[in-house]
Amino acid sequence: MDINWFQSAIQDLFSAQFWKEAFTYSLEKPWFFTEFSFLCAFGVFLIGYSIAFTKESLRKVYIILFSLFFYYKSSGPFLALFALMILSDYLFALAIERSEGRKKKLYMFFALSYSLSFLLYFKYANFIIENCNFWLHTQFSPKDLFLPIGISFYTFQSISYVMDVYRKEIPATRNFIDYSFYMTFFPHLVAGPIVRAKDFLPQIFSPQAINKALFKESIARIIMGLVKKLFIADYLAKYSDIVHLAPSAYSGGENLIAMYAYTFQIYFDFSGYSDIALGIALMLGYRLKENFDNPYTSQNITIFWRKWHMSLSSWLRDYVYIPLGGNRKGEFNTYLFLMITMLVGGFWHGASWRFVFWGFAHGLALAFHKAWIVLYTRKSETPSWLKSPQKWFNTFLTFNFVALCWIFFRASSFQFAFQSIQKIFTTIQWVDFQGFWFARPEIIIMLLVAAFIAFFPVKLKLQGIAFLQKLPTWTWIIWMMIALQIIVQFRDDVVQPFIYFQF
Amino acid sequence: MEQNPSNTSHKTPPNVVQTNDHSLGNIEGSSRWLILWAGLVIAVPALLIFLYALSPFQFSIAQFELKKLPSESLEEIINDSTNTDLAGNKPVETFLTQDTQHIALNDSQRAKNIIAGGFAFQSSLVPFHMPIFTDSTKHRILLIGDSEAGGLRYPLNDYCLANGHKFIACVEWYSATVFNFAKADTISQIIRKYKPTYIFIVMGLNELFARDLKARSSAAKLLAKKLEGIPYTWIGPANWAEDNGINDVFAKAADPGTFYPTKTLELPRAEDGRHPNNKGYRIWMDSLATWITHSAKWRIPMNPPTKRARPLRANIITINAAKYRGY
Repeated sequence: MDINWFQSAIQDLFSAQFWKEAFTYSLEKPWFFTEFSFLCAFGVFLIGYSIAFTKESLRKVYIILFSLFFYYKSSGPFLALFALMILSDYLFALAIERSEGRKKKLYMFFALSYSLSFLLYFKYANFIIENCNFWLHTQFSPKDLFLPIGISFYTFQSISYVMDVYRKEIPATRNFIDYSFYMTFFPHLVAGPIVRAKDFLPQIFSPQAINKALFKESIARIIMGLVKKLFIADYLAKYSDIVHLAPSAYSGGENLIAMYAYTFQIYFDFSGYSDIALGIALMLGYRLKENFDNPYTSQNITIFWRKWHMSLSSWLRDYVYIPLGGNRKGEFNTYLFLMITMLVGGFWHGASWRFVFWGFAHGLALAFHKAWIVLYTRKSETPSWLKSPQKWFNTFLTFNFVALCWIFFRASSFQFAFQSIQKIFTTIQWVDFQGFWFARPEIIIMLLVAAFIAFFPVKLKLQGIAFLQKLPTWTWIIWMMIALQIIVQFRDDVVQPFIYFQF
Repeated sequence: MEQNPSNTSHKTPPNVVQTNDHSLGNIEGSSRWLILWAGLVIAVPALLIFLYALSPFQFSIAQFELKKLPSESLEEIINDSTNTDLAGNKPVETFLTQDTQHIALNDSQRAKNIIAGGFAFQSSLVPFHMPIFTDSTKHRILLIGDSEAGGLRYPLNDYCLANGHKFIACVEWYSATVFNFAKADTISQIIRKYKPTYIFIVMGLNELFARDLKARSSAAKLLAKKLEGIPYTWIGPANWAEDNGINDVFAKAADPGTFYPTKTLELPRAEDGRHPNNKGYRIWMDSLATWITHSAKWRIPMNPPTKRARPLRANIITINAAKYRGY
């Protein structure tokens, strides 16, 4: 047997070059949860964690160090910016807590301005410049900016902490290590869920016991997340990407299927990421809040926003909608605040008018739904025989509205988005689907698989999880092996980064 | 609202808010071995997949080839052997021809000899004056490609019959791109089944305007890796418009001296304006045959046939129209 390859692999492993690459940031290969090198490193980290976890201070420092390393491997030099934000908000929170009246408000203003300034600069500077140039005919040149990974998430997290302290909902954390732990905890660091201090800080001192049930749950969630992201989302992305490159070159049917493909892609991409994040956190003994709750089964847009990216929607509710006045300032203002909140949500996703429009469309739908409830629901009671079909129809309508809005989210310009929509509504023919089935059956099959999982009854899902819990502990290495090989079988050699990393 | 977490023996600051959202357990109840096992469950499969990618082994379950992770090391190996570009491929003067027909070698040895002796193009990795051999073996020819293969197979058949080669199969994969050929295990299966000794591969007409050249470059390199060990000629697409760089991508991916840049030819076109017509395919094949006989890395006899349009007896394998188009 030729073992030269093995010898050279071992030699590589002990080479200075290997270790240099392992510990330095690479712009071409930033770390994220689906990187095989991350999985290997995380496995090694866990081995160390099995020693460190019993001592509280050692456990915290060990996790913080790995989290900082993780962020360095993801964003390189922006680690310094992140560290600066942690330090400044820690100090601001203490200052806010110790002051009253106008001084307190001033500190709060500085804290918010300071946190938001980074986000505004890195994410929105070029957007502002381009719009100034367009509307005011100025000639500022756009900056060559690199968006630090996760900046939108940790900025929101930081703001929520400072605001909670300001509102006296939580006391400022005095121990800098505790606050650093909350901010840097790597499972939620780069793409959420956006964790609230009041939910997470208590766990720092008393993580969950890592027993067999927790072990199985965490591994199952990691496997599920990997399969969702690398198998389903990335496979569907292959198709939706090419159609969205030039929607006018494809038929109405192909555009419609691309719309559904992206609808499932973004769900499986982000919920897959969240599953991995939750699984990794759980494996360390910490439970993060769920980020998705079968959102595509929602019967109306209001419920959809309670089930989709829950950490963001609840953040927007608590830190934008309610402070604006919520539903306490009259009917018109309620709609107005709703619209403003969704515009902020849209703009948070990206520095482009497409995202603002996407937020506007959702805001409009939420306002419309609120008005609909007020106008019609009170007047008439739906007959019992109609309830079930009505539920299906409502789900169908909500799902298709959400899917249509995703076109603005995915398209590279308004022009392409409208081209795609025009194709869908004006040139669609039955023969498109027949041809598509003949030409690309695998995409249709993947879409059906995705739809089956997305619309799968929750009860059956829970039963499935309960079944998984019965599998012996020692077998999980086999399930992980099988899952990884399935992913490799279908893997594109250019893996799509998580969609939500760019936000 | 404020309270200390109970049920814990750890020192807890008095200012922490306890919520009822989680049933907080006690870390003392944790199993060290479970955490250790969790580390192994994550790391060992990932490590095994890494090692499999580096190993020379290829496992299959039933008909399915267990694919490998495209590892960096693998990429580096590929990069090292394809460090030339279209512009850098300069023909080297032929000064020696040797008939290898009578040398009794097995297929793999023969392939190695042809590879070692057949460099016809200069690259930074190849010595400048290599002896060049013309392999006069009667070959088992396999043609693989996109829709262009469907037109090229007829003149190729004439050449095969005229030169004693056996045209064993033609795989015509409509609307395919380099991703299809690189990622599906179709090529490996066809090679296993028909055991060709020389492969023609033609593609690119569907990706003239491709902009994701980096991704296609990786796929092209993987494809070249799949062909390793069997002499081949990689035929560039019959450009009907200027491409965005796909020809350069293929030229870089293919072994030096194996890429034939069709884009330089002016070919009469069929009614669709894109594919060459029958005459165009013939002109194309004539030019290709001259190049293979005199300039290619792996040269085989390809003298012009005296009779044209002879019956085609090769196995024709047609893969679903437009399957995987564009990626």
